[in-house]
Amino acid sequence: MRTRLLKNSALVGGAMLFAAMGASAETFKWASTTDPQTMDPHAVNSAPVLSFLNNIYEGLVRRGKDMAIEPSLAASWEPLEGENGWRFNLRQGVTFQNGAAFNAEDVMFSYQRASSEAADVRSWFAPVADVRVVDDYTIDFVTKAPNPLFPDSIANFMILDKDWAKSNDAALPARDAENYATMNVNGTGAFTLASRDPGVKTVLSPHAGWWDQVDHNVTEGVFTPIGNSATGLAALLSGEIDFIQPIPLQDVQQVESRDGFKVLEGEETRVIMFGFGHEHETLLYSSDVSDANPFADPKVRLATAHALDLASIDRVLFRGKIEAASQLVPANISGYSDANPDRPAYDPARAKALLAEAGYPDGFSFGLKCPNDRYINDEALCRAAASMFAAVGLNAELSTGPVRDYWPQLREDDFDMYLLGWSPGTFDMEHPIRFLMHSQDNEKKLGSWNFGNYSNARVDELLPLIQREIDPSKRQMLIDEVVSITQDEVAYIPLYTQPLIWAAKDNVDLTQRADNFFMLRWVTVN
Amino acid sequence: MAYFILKRLVQSVFVMLAVAFLAFSLFRYVGDPISQMTGVETSVTDQEKLREDLGLNDPFVVQFARFTGNMLQGDFGFSYRTRQPVAEMITSRIPATLELGIVALIISLAVGIPTGVYTALKPRGFVTQTILMTTLVGVSIPTFVIGIMLIFFFGVLLGWLPTFGRGGTVLLGGWETSFLTLEGWRALLLPAITLGVYQLTLTMRLVRAEMMDVMRSDYIRFATARGVPMRRLYFKHALANTMVPVITIIGLQFGGVIAFSIVTESVFQWPGMGLLFLESIRFVDIPVMGVYLVVIAFFFVVVNLIVDLLYVAIDPRLRVADVS
Repeated sequence: MRTRLLKNSALVGGAMLFAAMGASAETFKWASTTDPQTMDPHAVNSAPVLSFLNNIYEGLVRRGKDMAIEPSLAASWEPLEGENGWRFNLRQGVTFQNGAAFNAEDVMFSYQRASSEAADVRSWFAPVADVRVVDDYTIDFVTKAPNPLFPDSIANFMILDKDWAKSNDAALPARDAENYATMNVNGTGAFTLASRDPGVKTVLSPHAGWWDQVDHNVTEGVFTPIGNSATGLAALLSGEIDFIQPIPLQDVQQVESRDGFKVLEGEETRVIMFGFGHEHETLLYSSDVSDANPFADPKVRLATAHALDLASIDRVLFRGKIEAASQLVPANISGYSDANPDRPAYDPARAKALLAEAGYPDGFSFGLKCPNDRYINDEALCRAAASMFAAVGLNAELSTGPVRDYWPQLREDDFDMYLLGWSPGTFDMEHPIRFLMHSQDNEKKLGSWNFGNYSNARVDELLPLIQREIDPSKRQMLIDEVVSITQDEVAYIPLYTQPLIWAAKDNVDLTQRADNFFMLRWVTVN
Repeated sequence: MAYFILKRLVQSVFVMLAVAFLAFSLFRYVGDPISQMTGVETSVTDQEKLREDLGLNDPFVVQFARFTGNMLQGDFGFSYRTRQPVAEMITSRIPATLELGIVALIISLAVGIPTGVYTALKPRGFVTQTILMTTLVGVSIPTFVIGIMLIFFFGVLLGWLPTFGRGGTVLLGGWETSFLTLEGWRALLLPAITLGVYQLTLTMRLVRAEMMDVMRSDYIRFATARGVPMRRLYFKHALANTMVPVITIIGLQFGGVIAFSIVTESVFQWPGMGLLFLESIRFVDIPVMGVYLVVIAFFFVVVNLIVDLLYVAIDPRLRVADVS
């Protein structure tokens, strides 16, 4: 609902003064570029929604400050005996924000809701064969095959109160209409919704009956979406908001040069990469090669990789804030292949030699597609890459566009080479293998973001083995094999891990998590 | 008079249908709503199913017919992005845009008309030249630059005024107004100036040109010869005749202010219809975009109607024409 009156009008006006005196109240205001589309935790599987709702709803497990899985509504869990799957032992004495008690029926209900056809998060439950309530505080998730990562994969599976949802006609997520859960909440989390005005302002207040130890001192959290980054920065610097995520790279200096503000920098788990139209018969945008697709040849792909001077890109475009990547996940992610840490070095001479070997001594021209509003400096990156390619004879015809237009083009195979960023939702290497490296297979729901349809029979064979291998070292060996195959074949050119840049007032303590989620329960206003 | 209004209203329906049709035919080039509605992990099959359910696979004509059919029955549909009813979303944003537009217009008139008159009466004075130069600079700087400059000066450097949002609003019989709180006025000031600057220049130059024209006319010369006091001459005789074309332009400007407040609303994160439209484009929220454009068309139609009626009220000659 809309806030009828401004409770803290004095504070808005005098925010700067208050901040200067260090007498700021525990009202905490923050801004981000995108408003969560809905308050329904199962309706949209997007980062703005899941990040925001993690403050209100909780799952069986949750991620800590270092991204590690820790107990939440499940106090513990163990593999099932005699069959595949996991038993979750639920925490007792937990209450929802409306006072109702939490038990296994709520988990069961939430599972049914989240795995229903109307839910956008149902892919999380694809491996689940059956769910059984054992008793009030024990629930079993039976999986079709051994699934060591299942608990990790449901960190954002949020639990709703069964009776509340049912009595308010919100038993299923609304897909193309509004329902009660779109604008109202009843979770077990640290904060509850005080008011909601979509696109304008959303206010959270602490959940007095929260089961966990309270680490924050926030009495009211006010979130405002600010789409324009210059406006967002101004709002921070004028003292009207306490924290903003993210800020553009070029504004870092501005913030750092002012007293009373700080910049939080980290590495996101998102790896930026170039992809190729492996499967294409011919190039679509070439002016000189019409009868073949040079990118089908691994030598050409390797030449492309050798043509890129990542150090210069880092220095010129990213102010030294990116970390070079050798594979599709960054080094701190589980499954990262320590055996394959090398990326093709910048070596234009080698690139030219490889092109000559592949039969293109003078290079060729092709079309390169890039988004211009999705990743940090995406368009600038592609321009820089295009000029580096040109130095070895690869003449990239660059075309850029907003993502709403970009994804459909990639889906329609309308590219020769393209830019993509990938953040593994499960924080495990299996995720990019499933979505980016396995051949396209709509029926099995595999390879759905493998636009160029990179296909390798051995990789396809290894994925199911990786998914069900329990022994970590055996599993890692399987992953190492996939990584070394895809590196040898240059399935993609991983470039770097995208930096994560937040800005806040000096008097605010908060935690920057690598998935770019913002947790109000870790905020202290001094 | 009633016949005149009725005729105009019938015309308006066609105008709005045409706008809806144009808008709808453009939407297919905006992008794919499905990829914006679903997460990365949603399977291609599920995406296809959603596309089918929403009727996005139907031929363009069918989609358009359904959209207009539903609109005529008062069903504005649901937003693809927030899942809220579109009618509710738009009506909740109308007060913000209208209030911003009204204040911007008032600023442009309150400053534009007097300076227009002054620069017309003293065309060669130093002050006049300065004003003309300044406004020329003002009009050639893009709106968003003006907005950002104001934000950094009054918001960040001086800390006098809020840099975003509407500040304090009060709900007055279903209308959320900024006019009743000091915070609301403080938040309104910068965006209204930003939006008003361009209109101000237009108003000023128009009033100046018209006024100079009128001052050269015979009846003014005769009035001068008859010894009518200068003050009375300027403000009664001359200004009244200047106002006919000016009212037309003001009317159209108000329509323009509302429609083109998009930039200002985005710079100031002003929660009006323009910002909603912008967000809707980003998410390919077709139902909201469609309804927005129809509402704006309706708005222009109504404003034009009012302008025409004001014409009749101001200039008696038009009444005769209407009767015949």
